[in-house]
Formats: sequence, structure tokens, C-alpha cells
Amino acid sequence: MKNKVVWLLAAAMVFIFGLSLPVAAEVGVTDTEIHIGQWGPQTGPAAPWGSIARGTGDYFKMINAAGGINGRKIVYHMFDDGYNPAKTKAGVKELQEGVGIFSWVAGVGTAPGLAVRDYLMEKKIPWVGPCSGSLHWINPANRYLFPIYPLYIIDAKALVKYAVEKLGKKRFAIAFQNDDYGKNGLRGVRESLKKYGLELVAEVPVEIKDADMKPHVMKLRKAKPDAVLLWVGPVHAVKIVGTSKAMRFAPQWLSTSACSDFPLMMHISKGLWKGVIASTFASLPDSNDPLITKYKKEVHEKFAAKNERWGIFYYAGILLAEPLVEALKRCGRDLTRERLVTELEGLTDFKGLGGTISFKPFDAKDPYGTRQGGKEVFLIECLDGGKAKKLTDWTYFDYRW
Amino acid sequence: MIVSGIAAGSTYALMGMAMVIIYKTSEVPNFAQGEMALATSFFTLMLLEQRGLPYHLAFPAAFLFAIGLGCLLEFAVLRRAKEPSVLGFIVITIGLEMILMGLVSWKFGADPKTMPFPISPYDSIAIGGVFISSLELLTLFVALVLMIILFIFFRFSKLGMAMKATQQNHTAARLMGIRTNRMLMLTWGISSLVGCTAGLLISPITMQPYMMWDPMLKGFAAAVMGGMTSLPGAVFGAYILGIIENLFGGYVSIEFKSVIAFIIIVLVLCIRPSGLFSRHYVKKV
Repeated sequence: MKNKVVWLLAAAMVFIFGLSLPVAAEVGVTDTEIHIGQWGPQTGPAAPWGSIARGTGDYFKMINAAGGINGRKIVYHMFDDGYNPAKTKAGVKELQEGVGIFSWVAGVGTAPGLAVRDYLMEKKIPWVGPCSGSLHWINPANRYLFPIYPLYIIDAKALVKYAVEKLGKKRFAIAFQNDDYGKNGLRGVRESLKKYGLELVAEVPVEIKDADMKPHVMKLRKAKPDAVLLWVGPVHAVKIVGTSKAMRFAPQWLSTSACSDFPLMMHISKGLWKGVIASTFASLPDSNDPLITKYKKEVHEKFAAKNERWGIFYYAGILLAEPLVEALKRCGRDLTRERLVTELEGLTDFKGLGGTISFKPFDAKDPYGTRQGGKEVFLIECLDGGKAKKLTDWTYFDYRW
Repeated sequence: MIVSGIAAGSTYALMGMAMVIIYKTSEVPNFAQGEMALATSFFTLMLLEQRGLPYHLAFPAAFLFAIGLGCLLEFAVLRRAKEPSVLGFIVITIGLEMILMGLVSWKFGADPKTMPFPISPYDSIAIGGVFISSLELLTLFVALVLMIILFIFFRFSKLGMAMKATQQNHTAARLMGIRTNRMLMLTWGISSLVGCTAGLLISPITMQPYMMWDPMLKGFAAAVMGGMTSLPGAVFGAYILGIIENLFGGYVSIEFKSVIAFIIIVLVLCIRPSGLFSRHYVKKV
């Protein structure tokens, strides 16, 4: 009897205290806050891309000023990793295990991203929109990773297709950054040319620390190409085009989205960027796209720092965060990581500042179809004053051949 | 390839000479040299673009700024260090390098920029099928003229002799009435002026906070190769470095173009530790 009473009392206690205990909350979410993290190079050689993380921050400020998402404000944790993977890893771990981040967004660079990919995936932490077009984001497939930036291979396909079919070019060469970014482009160009029965006449690697581009241009010039693809950063691209001008070598230059900020490229090349054809993943900065007008007014004019330029990389920070914000809204008050994944998977033909974005329920055998959100690019040509002429409409590409 | 090497070597030569000048008097390899040039280059950009100054005012103002910056760093930082070892000095210069780069990034942002310049960096002349840009020709000319001026200055002028005396025996120089502190300060000023010409001649192509790191390293390497105390040695080392880099990049492997420079330096230092142009210097105890 005594035992029975004790058991009954214990059961009653568990029931009473069990009711009053809070439901185990998701990491990085409180009643009033959602903690989102991002890294971005604010110093060092990749610092020009630092505006991406600042753009995201200003976008979140706009959302918070409008009341947040379902009654919660976004608390944004951004840190400078200097494009150094060791720093990225340390910073992500520190924030994840110290503060507790609900989800990560964007984050510049393949190498920094690769340094934390496995860590985030093992912990089942959603990461939306890594800021690079590397195949590493879908190979291998990851349930919690949602790439948005179109693959570099797609850039290659679009550029080669246009140069062969519209411009009639036959002799192609490439100057590529000797890392994952450049090698993805090289692979894409090789495969795309193969489709037309063509081969690269020169493949010239550029090391990030190379300052003098004369030997590179000499190699390109010797191969006598009529079109040269540039899979490098803006400074190297300008140096290659400038050195080529000095060496009286003038092929059709084709460039990736990394050098599609035409006002900047025209300025630093002293006008030499005119006529360059580039692929791009976002609406043009001066286009009459209603979202461009809205963000320029509501985000850039209200929240950007004084010297922040309204350039493609600044608003790429918005573009890469838009699907996350949309999915957070769809989650309602019941915000868990699993719910966020489900809502992201439900995004179909979502249209923000870039091409349409769609995800599907996870299928490890079809990572491109279920996890690669952005699959569209369009081509632009640089005109006087850094203006852009649209050469194609948004075009869908499959990365498989 | 050789012409390109000479063109690339001219920038290294200017940085190398700037480092040698400081080393000659204080035996400190100044790792802030590149960023001192960086600060001057961005200051010049500000004068030209934001203040709208014409070239004939902006460039002399830049030279004065460079001299002032060099003198200030010596007076405000280096002189305050209490009995530092060479290692301590090196750490101080690395710290200064980081501070200057941080200040430039903060003030001017990280976007690449370009400096207006009287001649286009992309115009060139062709000599027998070899193209050389007018900016490269100018850099070559400036490097050689500065080398001659500095050589004459240190060999024949009173001030130059006083600077050399300060390096060779600080106490004796002081006893002979040389104001050694002032000499050191002036050395930093002159070195900063020489270094800034390298920065100003790179800036018409592209400018970014990281732009002086490579020329500084290569200039330092050239100076080490030349013996660290010899101005013609630094210039010779710089041209050898530029030529070998280009030949290697053109005929062997473009991926290892930058690395080859340092392999050669290691080899030179193994065979001739005091450099190609320096006499073995034995310090009396």
C-alpha cells in the first residue's frame, strides 16, 4: 500500500512538473528572436566581396524594422573570416557552440564554405545560399544544404553557347584561377566545347598571388584564340585585359558573374571593360525590376553604411537570403529546423532578385533537381559608363551533359 | 620574356632600394615598407579624385606625405621602443604594416580602385616585336634614376655619409657630432619616399589594400639577394628576380612562377649567405 502511494505521488509529480516544463526549444530560436549567422571577408584580398554579408545584414534590418518574422526579430551574427578557411571554421564553431545559431545564410567562397560544410551537415543545421557556384554544394547531396548561386558550370555553358552560336567563335582559350572556382569553370568550358566538337587552344592558370599578368597574356596570345574566357577575380581580369591591350591582343572577352559588376569593372579598367560579355545571376542594378527599386529604397538608402555602393554583390547578399526569409515566414510560430527544411523544400519557382528558385523533397540521387535552387543565368554586354545590354533572357541550364 | 622581366623587376627594385636604405642605417628589415607606400598611394588618390588637385600639385604633396609618414613612424614608434632586439624591431614593423593596411581599408574600403595618371598604363610601344607599356618604361626610368641618385647621395654627400656612419658605429657617430636620432628619422623619410614611387607607379593599374604585399616581398627578396646593404645589389637582384620569374613562367611552369623567386633566394643564401653584392660584414665585439 505504502509503495502504491509513493508510486502514485511520483507519477503525479512527474505529470505536474512535466506540464510546467517548457517544451525543448530549437537552438537559436526564442520567443522573440531568431539567430542567423554568416561569414564574409571584410579584410584581405577577397574583401571586395565583403559587401555580400553587409547586404544581408541591411536586408535583415529592413525586416526587423517592419516587425520581424512572425513576431520574432532576426539577430544577425556576421564575422570577418578574411577568406581564410581556418578562421571560417573557428568563427562558425564559436558562434554555433557559444551563441547558438538557428541557420546559416550565404557565406562567401568555396574554400571557406568547404571548411564548415561537414560540421554543419553533421549537426543538421540548415545552410541556405552559399555564395559560390561550386559543385561541392550538391556533390555529395546534403539534406540541410540549399545552394542558390547558379553553378559555375552553368556560366560556362551559357557563355560558350552564345559565343559559338551567336558570335561564331571557334578558337577558345581560358585564363582560370587555380582553385575550385577556376577549375569548375575550366571543366564547364571543356565539356561545353566538346558538345560543339571544339577544344580549348590554351588553358592558363592564374595563382591568386600573381601580380604580373604578362607571362599569362603571352601564352594566351601565342595560341591565337578569337575568344578568351576569364575565370578569375576582378583585379586579375582587369590586369589581363589591360596587358592584352598593351600587347595589341584583342579577342572577345567572356567573363563569369564574378566580374559582372560593370560600373566597378569599367572604372578600374579605365574603360577597357567595354564590349566584355559576362553571365550574371541577378537583375541589373539600374533595371526597373520592382524588387530592385524596393530594396534600393528600403534597404540600401535606409540602412547601408555611408560609403556602401549599390552594386551587384551588395544586393547578392539580399538575393541569397530571400528564400530563407520566405521559408521562415511560411513556418509560422512553430519554428524548428526540420520545419524550415520542409518549407524550403516547398519553394517552387520562387522569384526574388535572381532567376527562379525551386527546391524539392530531398532525394540523394537527384541533388541538382532537389537541392540546387538557382539554375538560371543571363548574359550581358558592357557598354559605355558601365551600363549593361541584355544579350539573353533568363535561361535555364542543366549541369549534366 | 626578358623585357617583361625587366619591367616587372623595376617595381621590385624600387621596393628593394627602400628596404635597403633603412637596413643600411638601422639594420632593421622594414616590413611596413609596402603599406607605407600603400598609404601614400591612397592619399594621392584622395587628392586627385576627392579634392580635385592637378597632378603637378598632387604628386609633390604625395612625396611630402611619404617623407612625413616615414619620419613620423620612426619618431613616434620606433624611437619609443626600449632597447629592442632586431626581432623586436621586426615585430614592430609587422605591427605597423597591419595598422596601416587596416587604416587604409577602413578609410577607402576594399573595392578595387584605380588612380588617374598622366599616361595610360595600357599604351605601349613595340620594339622589334616586343611590346613594352609606357608605364613600364617610366617605372624602369624612375628605378634607374633613383638608384643613381641614391648611390651618389650615400657615397658623396655629407648627409649620406652621416647616415652611413650612424649605421656603422652609433656611439662614434654621436661623438663626432652627428645627431644620430635625426639621421634615423631622415632615413625613414627617404626610404618612404623611394617606396612610395613604387606604389604610385602600380596604382594607375589597380589599387586595393593588398596591392603592396607582393612587391614588398619580392623587393625584400631582391634586397636579400643583393646583400641587404647594397643599393646596386638590390636593383640587380630585382631585375634577376623579374627575368627568372618570367622565363620560368613562360617556358617551364606558370603555376610556380612566383615560387621560383624564393627558391633562388634560398639557393643564393646557401651559397653566399651575405648576398651577391655584399662584403662579409664582421662586427667587432
